[in-house]
Amino acid sequence: MNKSASSSPGNGALIRVTDLCKTYDNGVDLIQVLRNINFKVYPGEIMAIMGPSGSGKSTLLFILGIFLHPSSGSYFLGGQDVLSLDRNAQAEFRRNRVGFVFQSCDLLENSTVYENLEFPLIYAGVDRQDRPERIAVALERVNLGHRIHHSSNRLSGGERQRVAVARALVNQPQVILADEPTGQLDRSHGHSILDHFSEIVSDGKTAIIVVTHDPEIAAGCTRISSIRDGVLYEQ
Amino acid sequence: MQLNDLMRVSVRQVIRHRRRYMGVVLAIALGVAGFLNIVTMSREVKNNFNENLDLIGGVTVLRIYFDNQRSYRPQWFREQTLTALKRLDGVKELSLTAARHGQKSNFKGQHFAFMVLAVDEGFWQVRNFWPLTGKLFGLDAVNAHTRECVIGAELAKRMFGDTQVSGTDLEINLEIYRISGGLGGVTDSGLANSVFLPLTTAADRFPGRLLADRLYLRCATWDDVGAVAAAIPGIVKSFQSPEELHVEVAWEALKRVQLLAWWIEFLIYLATSATFLLGGVGIWNVMMAAVTSRTREIGLKKAMGAEDRDILAQFLSEALCLSVGAALLGAGIGRILMEILGYVIESRPPENLFFFGVTLAFVFAVVIGVGAGLYPSIRASRMEVVSAIRYE
Repeated sequence: MNKSASSSPGNGALIRVTDLCKTYDNGVDLIQVLRNINFKVYPGEIMAIMGPSGSGKSTLLFILGIFLHPSSGSYFLGGQDVLSLDRNAQAEFRRNRVGFVFQSCDLLENSTVYENLEFPLIYAGVDRQDRPERIAVALERVNLGHRIHHSSNRLSGGERQRVAVARALVNQPQVILADEPTGQLDRSHGHSILDHFSEIVSDGKTAIIVVTHDPEIAAGCTRISSIRDGVLYEQ
Repeated sequence: MQLNDLMRVSVRQVIRHRRRYMGVVLAIALGVAGFLNIVTMSREVKNNFNENLDLIGGVTVLRIYFDNQRSYRPQWFREQTLTALKRLDGVKELSLTAARHGQKSNFKGQHFAFMVLAVDEGFWQVRNFWPLTGKLFGLDAVNAHTRECVIGAELAKRMFGDTQVSGTDLEINLEIYRISGGLGGVTDSGLANSVFLPLTTAADRFPGRLLADRLYLRCATWDDVGAVAAAIPGIVKSFQSPEELHVEVAWEALKRVQLLAWWIEFLIYLATSATFLLGGVGIWNVMMAAVTSRTREIGLKKAMGAEDRDILAQFLSEALCLSVGAALLGAGIGRILMEILGYVIESRPPENLFFFGVTLAFVFAVVIGVGAGLYPSIRASRMEVVSAIRYE
């Protein structure tokens, strides 16, 4: 455990966010998007973050994936002070500790499902001969083992989103961050994704944070929080 | 990111976006093919010009002679001198001759005076002469000391009223010689009014000692003429007296031909360089377009954990794949063109020259690939994840 980690209390929390603020300067005004956000996430939890458009849900998620840096506050994941990481360590953090599922089912175009899942493994330095098995396991968890060599362009919306979930899973991260993962899916496919999330966290090691504005999806999560005017409220 | 993964992914990307890259690859490939043919075939083409174009080829022929009329001690070319001259760098071939002026012939009661040039079997090749009618005697006639001759076209017309005189007998100094052919390709009226005998026959038949005091020497290309002309007196001096030795070069014509050739070569190299440069600009352009159109992909890969250097390496290796792939294609096209040109001019360049050209082309390709691909790759690697993911 490093110096940063030793300064953070454990209490079994996988994620601990304290007094997190994010302010944008648009040249005229300072816009405070997130105000003193505090929360903890434990392994096995699926935390839903709800809120209207522009409330800061996605900004919070991007900060958790360290795509954005907060203006102040602290963020520990597994005891590690994530915000103190340099650029290369941030990349290492993203490939080994978090998996990201985007709203727009972002898969690499003109690539097969296998190739989409292979990239995180390539960046993580996984041996080439070990990759097929890990990719097959990740795809089986979302019931898409039979689509392994299909082109991503030929998948349905639901299948594309499940591939995105499998890709987030393939490096066995501690946290999956999902930004509106069911936003472009119909109800049945949306529930199917949620079922997969429930199965993933059932191992008791992984946590998932889902940003959504769909109350039904949020109801299927283990915890619901909402953001209004940049402030996070637990429900 | 491991090197084999990098190469595999880059080649796959280039193949999948081949329509976007096709124009650039073709441009560079044609540049490489042209470059290879200049490197490998330019000397062969010059050689071919020398042999086939009298105007251009004439400037590479040197006339070397002893002016025995001004010397109290007659000189002629010794065997050792000839051997040393043949070995000189840039010398393609040479021919030994001897001249007898004022020889006489009677035909149908008329008297004709002309020069007899006693020549060896290589004379026709060195001077680029060909038979107008019949054939020009060769090594067999020289070795067998046969009594045959070749007659200049103007003299044939003057004596016989016709150039079709092969097989006719010609009397020279009361001796009969069979005319084997009429001489063509002659612009010098002195030679068109001469009779040519095998050197050995003339030595046997003509009274007094026949001094082989004239030498015609053909250089491989016009670039060799200056150095060969400068070296000749020293070589002659090594084996015999160089007294009254003269080396004649058509300097004015040579300069004009060299200037013309220099401009042609310069323009071809300029065109090739322009092709390479345009290829580089093309790679820069398509890579910039690729970075823009693949912004979301870059953001996505960074979200998956790619470091800046992974993105940089991927785009740079894609640019390299383009330029090196184009060089490979160009080497193939260049080889085919080289074979066709070699077949047309009946000449083959040395293989090592081709491989030297290919190596140079690959070095250029790598420089172009890295040079043109670096900035777009750096731009791609420095993208911020959020702005890349949100790019529309």
